[in-house]
Amino acid sequence: MMSVPGSPAHPGSSRIMSVPPSASDADAPRATAGGPRAVLDAARAELRADTLRGAGGRAALERYSDRVDALLRQIFADAGEPPSSVLVLALGGYGRRHLCFYSDIDLLILFSGSIYPAEERFLRGLLHPLWDLGVVVGHQVRELDDFRTLETDNPEFLLALLDARPVAGARDLFDRFAEVFHAAATHAFILTSLLQLIDERHAKFNGTLYQLEPDVKQAPGALRDLSATRIIALLTDPLLLRRGPADPARFDDAEDFLLRVRSTLHLEGARNQNVLSHEMQERTAEVLGYPGAEPRIRVERLMSDYFRHARIVHRSLHWARKTAPVPVGANLGLSRDGVRFLDPIQAARNPPSWIATFQAAIEHDHDVAEEALSCIQQHVDRYRADDFFPQPADRAAVLHLLKPRKGLYERLSEMHDCGLLGRVFPEFQAISWRVVRDFYHKYTVDEHTLLTIRNLERLTVTEDPSRRRFRSILTDLPAPELLVLALLLHDVGKWRDDDHALESVRMAEQVIVRLQLSTEQREIVLFLIRHHLKMSLVAFRRDTEDPDIVADFARVVGTEERLKMLCLMTLVDVEAVSPETLTAWKEELLWRLYVDAYNHLTQRYGDELIERNQAGLDEVLTNRPADLSAADITTFLEGLPQRYLQLFTREAIHRHVRLARDIKPDEIHISLEPSEGVWTLAVVTLDKPFLFSNICGVLASFGMNILRGHAFTNPNGLVLDVFQFTDEERFLALNADAPKQMLKVLEDVVSGRADVTARLRGREQSILKTASRFAPVVRADNEASRRYTILDIVASNALGLLHRISRVISQHGCEVDLVLIATEGEKAIDVFHITKAGVKLTQAEQLALTSDLQRTLEGRA
Amino acid sequence: MKMIKAIIRPNKVDEVKDALAALNIAGMTVTEVRGHGKQKGHTAIYRGKEYNVSLLPKMEIEVVLPDALADDAIKAIVTAARTGEIGDGRVFVMPVLESHRIRTGEKEA
Repeated sequence: MMSVPGSPAHPGSSRIMSVPPSASDADAPRATAGGPRAVLDAARAELRADTLRGAGGRAALERYSDRVDALLRQIFADAGEPPSSVLVLALGGYGRRHLCFYSDIDLLILFSGSIYPAEERFLRGLLHPLWDLGVVVGHQVRELDDFRTLETDNPEFLLALLDARPVAGARDLFDRFAEVFHAAATHAFILTSLLQLIDERHAKFNGTLYQLEPDVKQAPGALRDLSATRIIALLTDPLLLRRGPADPARFDDAEDFLLRVRSTLHLEGARNQNVLSHEMQERTAEVLGYPGAEPRIRVERLMSDYFRHARIVHRSLHWARKTAPVPVGANLGLSRDGVRFLDPIQAARNPPSWIATFQAAIEHDHDVAEEALSCIQQHVDRYRADDFFPQPADRAAVLHLLKPRKGLYERLSEMHDCGLLGRVFPEFQAISWRVVRDFYHKYTVDEHTLLTIRNLERLTVTEDPSRRRFRSILTDLPAPELLVLALLLHDVGKWRDDDHALESVRMAEQVIVRLQLSTEQREIVLFLIRHHLKMSLVAFRRDTEDPDIVADFARVVGTEERLKMLCLMTLVDVEAVSPETLTAWKEELLWRLYVDAYNHLTQRYGDELIERNQAGLDEVLTNRPADLSAADITTFLEGLPQRYLQLFTREAIHRHVRLARDIKPDEIHISLEPSEGVWTLAVVTLDKPFLFSNICGVLASFGMNILRGHAFTNPNGLVLDVFQFTDEERFLALNADAPKQMLKVLEDVVSGRADVTARLRGREQSILKTASRFAPVVRADNEASRRYTILDIVASNALGLLHRISRVISQHGCEVDLVLIATEGEKAIDVFHITKAGVKLTQAEQLALTSDLQRTLEGRA
Repeated sequence: MKMIKAIIRPNKVDEVKDALAALNIAGMTVTEVRGHGKQKGHTAIYRGKEYNVSLLPKMEIEVVLPDALADDAIKAIVTAARTGEIGDGRVFVMPVLESHRIRTGEKEA
């Protein structure tokens, strides 16, 4: 299995070092009396004696392996320590302490850092004395970091690593190695490879264990099958063999027998030979002390023992392959009865893994096995909410679990039934089986809550024509799990009898603190809970044809994202009251309010500007950092749309004020920040022709894919553009001075020193060739806003799209004052607020512009 | 006896109910309905695309009452449901020949 000394084990891999024998004798320790030679000779003599007594089984081989360990430690000490710490590990059979007489000594020599000449000297110091002793070493040399990527070209090596055992050197490296090596993906790969290797090996023996001259290592039912069975258990369910067809003691007996045979074969054949040939059968039967008057009888008894043991191994392997759960996470396996803990004792001590169980069940579209639920139920009272998510990754896992998709309701119900939901969210426990008597609700408060989540889950796959519109806004949501969290908590305040929305908000704040949600996440969840009755009130009981009513509602909601979430929340909440509550009639009213409020938020916000005494302004002023004066802030804010205050956090607003302070013509101030794979760029400058188009063009020229954004212009001509984009080509991630480069190009392009069209030419040509997936929509409207012509554009998202659109608008002599940029899947949804010479566009101007845009978007321009 | 059937804006139901209650008219049937009159729906635009809203959600209130009360009831409904804009609705008045109370079989003419 392992390499031949001095030559790479598998030349395909560049990380394998071959260490050619060196001429320098100074490096090699001498084998003196009491030195390595003597140690090895004594070890061999002992194993020989054991084997000849018929006792060359497990105990003897373990003793022999221990003596070889000692030999290695001695040579290791003599080799002189290299600068980077090093560990020698025993692999494969030697790792299991089953080293046979003529087996290769399989080693991994593991360095903590890079391998330089000093490390190579150490290797020679270690390997040459071994070669001088005449032992056959199969060695692999690796740096710790090599294990961070999975080597898929040598599965045998990975299998041998499962038995790795530290022998000499820096012990702590072993823990570090184990941590890196034992990854779920690696285990899964090894398991798949192992099953394939077993099939290939069995095919060579025609798939039968009843060989007249069996190979006690390779044949079906022989030693390799035995260790394969153990590995399958190790990788899937450590307790698997206890439930197997053979009792573990008989399995161990089989191993001891096979090893005793193998030791005899090695000794008698005086080489690494494992075939129990007819000739060897006679000798082995004699050594192992089988009684019988003549050799034929002794051989028959030996072979009947062999087949008995081989059959046990064979059956166990077959059973393990059939029964082993599919690994679906750390300590989690998927069996026929669902997802369960492989080791319930370990699971009982690890509550975060319980959340992972439900996550895995959803992902694999299965139940959680009854035994796992009982295990949780039995231990759940020992833990407090914090114990379920001690680490950031655990908290993220809780949120991830709440993503609406098939199976969520059933899993949450299981969690609730076994007491887990009420432990993770003690606030939810308060409404367990809570009965509130009114004329509408048909279910207990907890079940009503879970049903809202089921309704949302069903919405993700609905094909009902009237529901598809709601489904489309659900698919638009960047973080639907926040909506589910809000649903889970929206009625927890009902444990009291007065205003439950306020009490729910108070209780939800505790959950938010424990989950350490970001400010943005917190605001969304609390908003939804606080206002969860608002939209049904307005839609069903107010005159929504009154623009003031819609405007007031839109003002409360503030952003499209919140509006979408609140709309869905209302839909599923009303639907969960009773089967009759949500009528098609109510759905229609709700949808209309949604559309009216959406249009208000996207098309009319340009008419509502920030003034002195504006709500929300106080908050920004009072909590301002020391370097900003109140005047700095009001100068910047006055004249921007009110919506600006709802779109950005206080911190972001303060950042924008700093960028805007003391800005001079032709200056550009930017801030650039990454957050979870999305970059946010804020640009502040003074307005000039083609500005928006140029900025978008520069971003596109760097390969940035713009996802969301807002462009504002205040009455003094100050422009604030905020873009969120992904860096598909990893330009920003890979270049430390990328922000500087981007700023430089922005300055050059905006001041007219460079031409962005030229920078984009190559990129645009390749994009324009790819046909758009759906017909673009361009629509101009003079009714919605008092001040602006509104331009709605829905088109296939593509690199440089915004640049092309806004260039056409500027070419028509229009000023772009406000822009809303949204991307939903492959769709770009952009709303431009434009004027020409300070007023709305005429019909003719609108027509000229929209047809030009249509041509551009269809690639005909 | 008369039957009054009023098609009104959904948000006006409570006000109409209160106005009728003030006349001591308590029994009524309220139904969610959809339809259009002269208003004929309108065109709504969502994300640049127009869609036609031809049937509007309305509420239908049905009341049966003695002839003597009919005029006051009609007046009360009209006053309570009026906004002055298109889409305020209609009130229809029909004669009722007889009425039977199911529980007792009692007949009112």
